[in-house]
Amino acid sequence: MSQTLIEDRRQDGATGLTRRTVPLGRRARRGAAPWLLLAPGLIVLGVLLLWPMLRVLNLSLQDYQLRNLLRGESNYVGLDNYVQVLSDPFLWTTVLPNTVGFAAVCVVLTMIVGTSVALFLNSLGTLWRSICTTAIMVAWAVPALTGTYIFVWLFDPQSGLVSSTLDGLGLMEAGSYNWFTNRWTFYGIATLNVVYHGFPFIAVTMLAGLMTVPQEHYEAAAIDGANAWGRFWNVTVPTLRPIIAVCVILSTIWDFKVFVQIYLMPGGDGSTREVMNLGVWSYTQSFAQGEYGMGSTIAVLLTVLLLVISVIYIRVLMKEEEL
Amino acid sequence: MNRRTPASTAGRVIGTIVLLSLSLFPFYWMLSTAVDTSPLSRGASLLPSGFTLEHFRYVLVDAGFLRYVRVSVIVALGTVLLSGVIALLAAVAVARFRFRLRTQVLIMVLMVQMVPLEALVIPLFLQARTLNMLNSLLGLIIVYVGFSLAFAIWNLRGFVAAVPRELEEAAYIDGATWFRMFRSVLLPLVAPGLVATSVFSFITAWNEFIFALTFMQDSAKYTVGVGLRTFFTQNTADWGAVMAASTIITLPVVIFFVLVQRNLAKGVTAGAVKG
Repeated sequence: MSQTLIEDRRQDGATGLTRRTVPLGRRARRGAAPWLLLAPGLIVLGVLLLWPMLRVLNLSLQDYQLRNLLRGESNYVGLDNYVQVLSDPFLWTTVLPNTVGFAAVCVVLTMIVGTSVALFLNSLGTLWRSICTTAIMVAWAVPALTGTYIFVWLFDPQSGLVSSTLDGLGLMEAGSYNWFTNRWTFYGIATLNVVYHGFPFIAVTMLAGLMTVPQEHYEAAAIDGANAWGRFWNVTVPTLRPIIAVCVILSTIWDFKVFVQIYLMPGGDGSTREVMNLGVWSYTQSFAQGEYGMGSTIAVLLTVLLLVISVIYIRVLMKEEEL
Repeated sequence: MNRRTPASTAGRVIGTIVLLSLSLFPFYWMLSTAVDTSPLSRGASLLPSGFTLEHFRYVLVDAGFLRYVRVSVIVALGTVLLSGVIALLAAVAVARFRFRLRTQVLIMVLMVQMVPLEALVIPLFLQARTLNMLNSLLGLIIVYVGFSLAFAIWNLRGFVAAVPRELEEAAYIDGATWFRMFRSVLLPLVAPGLVATSVFSFITAWNEFIFALTFMQDSAKYTVGVGLRTFFTQNTADWGAVMAASTIITLPVVIFFVLVQRNLAKGVTAGAVKG
């Protein structure tokens, strides 16, 4: 990270120099140039992200149902949707715990697994390190969509590997238990799936950080009598704090947004109400029930949650580097 | 750090075996189910009971999965092309110019990646419906460009920043116009980054599910992800077919990803280091 700052400063120094040597006329043209170059991108982002965000906010204040959609009429009800959602016990007993609890568990597990793998990779020689890195890349690259089906298949109650292994061991008769109808086992499987996909990013990022920690710091700590855990806690963690922070916040954002991995599991598409999270609730309210207004309200709540985390993310990032 | 005591060597060997098998196992399980002669009677055996390509034949020929592949390829390539051009222009702007609001633009680009798709799918669906763009490949491409753009800008910015300024200045001194410099100095040097970013945009579009599910209601326009669901019935699944189709979806992504991964990481770190 200290290298980052040096590089940054050098970069800025160079900018100052070129500015002085560029003639005035070209400098004026350069003033408009970045905005011309940015225009297509900003327009796309505005139309596809900013405008829909405003529209969803607007929809969340309406009782907008299928008939409104067909007739193209708006029907403003003020904060009614919000009152209804926030006073619904379903939100507090099921949806929010599913969303927040699941994300929290996934973040903690992903960080632990990712960091352990990074520490392990750091102890390997170059050849085996790159072999293992490629292997975890595969885990990372498997799409959420097909990865979810692989986990559903592994836990298939009738002929999945887990059921038949347990059957073979005499612990449980295959087909006697459906993992997907129970809230805890459902989310247990989803957690495995999400951690499997999430740990490689953490491992690779942390490994990059680990390789920058000066060896002398470890030696100094070892001379002071620190054991492996002490060296990790007193040297590695403080040095990597910025990277750890970014990893934690990024995985928090990702794990709150998990949709496909839940929606594609048996019962995850809203048919088992117990296992719904905010994203699935919003989606099914809109596209299964045709209540777009209510769906938008739930989507706004999810967005606000993510926004709070994002603001923290940006603040951490801003502290670490000059953008 | 690398003290080679027998105990630590044994630890490394065991660790490597555990890591390799756990990382690759789900992937292996998908492949081996896809070629298994009777996947449903596999029990706990780790090896397929026999080798067959019948599931692939069924998926591609009988079930017509190939047309979903076609749709996905068109959509993904369209996304790559459009977002590549737009992102490169924007990346040059943020990496090469210091201008007012530059930091704000960068922050906005970062924030965009945090917006949940569930919040966008409702208004964009309503809009696409009004504009008669449901079931339209172009409609889906436009939406995906929006999603892949932020990352593409962020990543390309690193590659553009890594090109030495002196080369550009030299081109100016030689009397080159900005566009000439762009074409013959910047573009060739940024090419590896452009490839890595393109692959990433391709994967984003290829993997996307929520919008494809919502927008493509005509089964002839299903993407691979939505098409995969046709192998499930109410209570059962043809797991041989599902895993064969999953292999067709997953394999190109994994190969692409592993190939460009190093480049991708380079762009992101260069971006972080050089601004």
